Amino acid sequence: MGLFRKMRAILHDDWCSQCQSEMDVVRKQLYALPTQRVGQYREQDDPAYYKKNLVPVEKKAQIPTGMYACGMHVYRCPQCAHRAVKLTVFLPVRDQEKTEQLLYFEDGEMDDFIWR
Amino acid sequence: MDKPIKKINFVYLLCTIFIPLMLVSLGLTIGYFFFHDGGTGAVICFLAPPVLAFVWWCFGGRLLYKNSCKKMARELDERGFRRNQTFESGGAMVTVDLNRGELGLVFFWNPFEHYVLPAKRIQRAWVDDGAAGGGFLRGSSRVSFLFQVDGVKIRVDTFTSNKRWRMDSDYILTGISKADVMVEVLEQAKQRSA
Repeated sequence: MGLFRKMRAILHDDWCSQCQSEMDVVRKQLYALPTQRVGQYREQDDPAYYKKNLVPVEKKAQIPTGMYACGMHVYRCPQCAHRAVKLTVFLPVRDQEKTEQLLYFEDGEMDDFIWR
Repeated sequence: MDKPIKKINFVYLLCTIFIPLMLVSLGLTIGYFFFHDGGTGAVICFLAPPVLAFVWWCFGGRLLYKNSCKKMARELDERGFRRNQTFESGGAMVTVDLNRGELGLVFFWNPFEHYVLPAKRIQRAWVDDGAAGGGFLRGSSRVSFLFQVDGVKIRVDTFTSNKRWRMDSDYILTGISKADVMVEVLEQAKQRSA
């Protein structure tokens, strides 16, 4: 069962990687990523890149056509208080989304950006 | 500036197809009549023209078109045309200067001419996602943006494939997004040109 729960935690992004409990979403925010345009996307893993370039927006309609967007989910585990941040980089295309990259930061790399 | 748009130079099109064919025929004829007994001459006559024709059909046209695109970009830069948005497909290259409200065009089948025209000559611009079929078979093998200048419809493909893709596939979505961007840019240029 333990192994099964660990596998679920790897596949289930809202499960805590420490205690495998389901985490709560404590914050959600949508950002525009003006440095990434359709046809010129470059993968980025560095949290500093996102801290520098993410521009908060209220809704998808505010993101210009052809510009990438980034959805941020901040999770907190109710059992062990472990925190994780998931960034989903996607291209909004009309009413659909083309997901480009999923990033998880579990060591507080984005904390200064989120709670500033 | 106001010259009519010609997407296809038919002389070039016919030469592209038939001159290599004529060279191949000539080589075969010379080889047959003058080197009937074989030898180096026969090898050259029978082999070289078909190889050259094949190379020309594969790369020649594309090379000319690429050079023409580069030449137009150079000339536009020299005359202060700011290339805010450029899209190059296999059939045509479109570049837009949003400040001046102008666009530059080069066509694959007319590589010896390029066109710089005010965007107010664009009558309309739209996206064709190529969607066909129903239910789970709904898909597309081509996404393009189109615009009409002086009654001439210009299609520029942003995605083409030899098979059909679902409408939510990454390829189709990327193609639609690129086409949407270009249509938006063309509309903006048209507004600034008026």
